[in-house]
Amino acid sequence: MTIKSIHGCIGCGECVQSCPCDVIRLDPSSGKAVIAYPEDCQICHLCRLYCPVDAIEMSPEKTLPVITPWG
Amino acid sequence: MKPTRTRLAFAAALLFIGLPLLLFARAPVPSRTLLKDSLSILTILAVALLLGQFFLARTIPAVQRAFKPPRVQALHRWIGYGAITVLLLHPFLIVLPRYFEPGVRPLDALVTMLTSFDTLGVLLGLACWLLLLLLALTSHLRMRLIKRFRISYRAWRGFHALLAAGFTGLALWHAIELGRHTGWLLGGFFALLAIAGIALLARLYLPERHRPAPQAEGLHI
Ligand code: SF4
Ligand code: SF4
Repeated sequence: MTIKSIHGCIGCGECVQSCPCDVIRLDPSSGKAVIAYPEDCQICHLCRLYCPVDAIEMSPEKTLPVITPWG
Repeated sequence: MKPTRTRLAFAAALLFIGLPLLLFARAPVPSRTLLKDSLSILTILAVALLLGQFFLARTIPAVQRAFKPPRVQALHRWIGYGAITVLLLHPFLIVLPRYFEPGVRPLDALVTMLTSFDTLGVLLGLACWLLLLLLALTSHLRMRLIKRFRISYRAWRGFHALLAAGFTGLALWHAIELGRHTGWLLGGFFALLAIAGIALLARLYLPERHRPAPQAEGLHI
């Protein structure tokens, strides 16, 4: 699994909206983010980069370098 | 055996700095960048030291005897102002690392965080922040408030204790709901400190008739 853990989620849904592969959903009972379809993750990091409280932790061994326009 | 200053200071450092740091290190969460982990440590130490304030509030006679009341009061004041400053900055410190990373902008992250009203943890956090601000302001302006509302210093202290106990309860709840490191270990440890501190405070402010009789030691009739 690419996402190692989600700690301290505030249920804002930013990761759900930013994920291009529909991997993450908000759990209706807790209101917090859960990995619904782990096999669909393409390790793009968008969920991690757009989480306002930095709750998403990715496995370093499955991490691709983040490509930014400035280098 | 009488507790000496060194022994008391060592016990306090162990309880309010050493143990929280150990439990932070043992928390089952992945470590992050140096900046993020340093900010987490700063916040955890601020909470631990703020909980330690209960034990500097005339609740332990041995501490008052060993360090003398004016010195204990000064320590209480400066630890309080320091820890409160860190905790008032807590929402901003959470988004600070975003300045150095790609992705969401710090201000956007802050706005999203502060407007996630559907989450209990966020609402608790907002309530704690306001209570903490009130605690800081009423502490700083205590002499003016006492004069303005014509209350006794003891009544102000009771109000201060009530505010501190209320803040502590909500803050622990918030930390257990959302804290990355406040699992069973650190959360349980903080809860124990809070219960012990609030119990000591309650004992101090109980009406006279509920208090235990003074010890006969030193009375020569
Ligand atoms: S890394 Fe990319 S694909 Fe994987 S869950 Fe996050 S946003 Fe979705
Ligand atoms: S972006 Fe972060 S805080 Fe918001 S729902 Fe996703 S994991 Fe939770």
